[in-house]
Amino acid sequence: MSVIIEVNGLTKSFRGLKAVSDVSFVTEEGAITGMIGPNGAGKSTTFNMICGFYPPTSGTIRYRGQDITGRRAYEFADMGIARTFQIMKPLGNLTVLDNVASSAFFGRHRAKDLRQAREIAAETLEFTGLYTKRDVLAREMGTPDQKRLEMARALATKPDMLFLDEVMAGLNPTETEDAIALIRRINNGGVTIFLIEHIMRAVVSLCEKVIVLHHGEKIAEGTPDQVMNDPIVMEVYLGTGSREDAAHVEN
Amino acid sequence: MRTPQKIALLILVAVMLALPQFIADMPYIVNVLILAFYMTTMSMAWNLLGGMTGQNSIGHACFMGIGAYTSVLCVVKFGMNPWVSLVVAVVVTALITGLVFSQCFILRGPYFTLVTIAFAEAVRQVILNWDFAGKAIGVGLPYVRGNNWLLFSFRDKAIYYYVAFAMMVGVYLLMKRIDNSKLGFALKTIREDEDVAAAIGIRPLKYKVIAVVISASVSAVAGFFYAGYYRYIDPNIMLQSASVELVLPAIIGGSAFVEGPLVGGILMVSLSEYLRNTFGGILPGINLILYAVVLIVVIRFRPTGILGWLHGRRTRKEGKA
Repeated sequence: MSVIIEVNGLTKSFRGLKAVSDVSFVTEEGAITGMIGPNGAGKSTTFNMICGFYPPTSGTIRYRGQDITGRRAYEFADMGIARTFQIMKPLGNLTVLDNVASSAFFGRHRAKDLRQAREIAAETLEFTGLYTKRDVLAREMGTPDQKRLEMARALATKPDMLFLDEVMAGLNPTETEDAIALIRRINNGGVTIFLIEHIMRAVVSLCEKVIVLHHGEKIAEGTPDQVMNDPIVMEVYLGTGSREDAAHVEN
Repeated sequence: MRTPQKIALLILVAVMLALPQFIADMPYIVNVLILAFYMTTMSMAWNLLGGMTGQNSIGHACFMGIGAYTSVLCVVKFGMNPWVSLVVAVVVTALITGLVFSQCFILRGPYFTLVTIAFAEAVRQVILNWDFAGKAIGVGLPYVRGNNWLLFSFRDKAIYYYVAFAMMVGVYLLMKRIDNSKLGFALKTIREDEDVAAAIGIRPLKYKVIAVVISASVSAVAGFFYAGYYRYIDPNIMLQSASVELVLPAIIGGSAFVEGPLVGGILMVSLSEYLRNTFGGILPGINLILYAVVLIVVIRFRPTGILGWLHGRRTRKEGKA
């Protein structure tokens, strides 16, 4: 397998505060790579830097060997990179079908007229299980469907590489299972996936490789099993153990 | 569009076309209709930028003014043919707005709106203090005898009526086409969310500039018509109040719809003229108060406009069925 995304020494400072510091990793073509970490660990910042929404303070991002650091967000769809947003951003006053049709006009499908764009959109909706809601206004849907719409819209740009930012947050267990199945289907279709997720069950069942961030630094990397059993990761997630707490009480 | 709607539309167009034959001896009514067509055209131009792209401008009277002034000055000062001056007016307006607003679109929301106000006022002040453009006195077009297509001057109001009607229909068809095109989808996506637009490969700045240039060019065409009809222009055509006035038809009709300005324009101009006729004589100014009341009522209770309200009712009914 070849490397599709290579991140090297990625750093982002917001007025002296280091949100992400010297993070490096690679993702393999065709794989599902996950990124986890507590709130405020810098996951979304890393994500936004890779997708061109924030310029990194330092470090480089390579896509298929090509340096894409500093490329603007609107250039990514043409390169075959698509993303979803953690806070759903449906095009509220458009129908679900037209939300996705807009992606079909741009991205790499380049639909030549409305009919073709809507055909592509309809196919994408069928694939993501939203076809029956195609005529609903996007703002009138609930969270699970809006999360799905985020994925459908990204897919309709015909990406090779898909970045998913917490697409399962706020879903109940059944909906999570559906989302996991959908992500598998997307991946089986040949799309490389990089995802940020809090729901461990999803990460464990989907990802071949997991990267753990804490306070903006990469503290672990490996298979889900390796990462889960890493002492530093356990400390970050479960606290530093009872010895210190006891000491505090005595003082 | 369904067949009954098509037939209704055809009948409406036929009535509009035949109308001048029946009201030829009522120049006032013809004048009101011409004004309504003109306002509707301007409102559609505004709606491309405001309704479709979500960039609210309160300076569109100035785009129209630049077009009108360019055309009139070309005719009066350089002896240009009016039709050639129309082309010059559109090009000049497109260039000025393209250059200025490509620099202003880093501003979003109300800040962009403030820039449009400032831009319009700046242009008006330039004209007010510019000898060449006739300062506050304005400039008039030369008198032409009879009906003359070549010099765009007609004794028959009915011809202006047809020209204005054709202009309105033409602009409507243009807007309808844009609405269903790649460009339209880019603009609507930008209106809903610029980050999403960028994420699917739309460059927001590029498309916003395209929108403002088309919008201003259409305004320039309307300005050319305005000057050709009234035969005289002064800087007051670019007043703030004029800019606001031509936003209203789109808002009242429903700015999310291409047809919004069409419905709102015909309705508001007729209403305003009716009120002035009926109540203006009883108590001066009462017509304006009534006009304002209608506006407030619509905006308060039907903020999505008349079409938004009708559309919402229809989808609710279908939902129940």
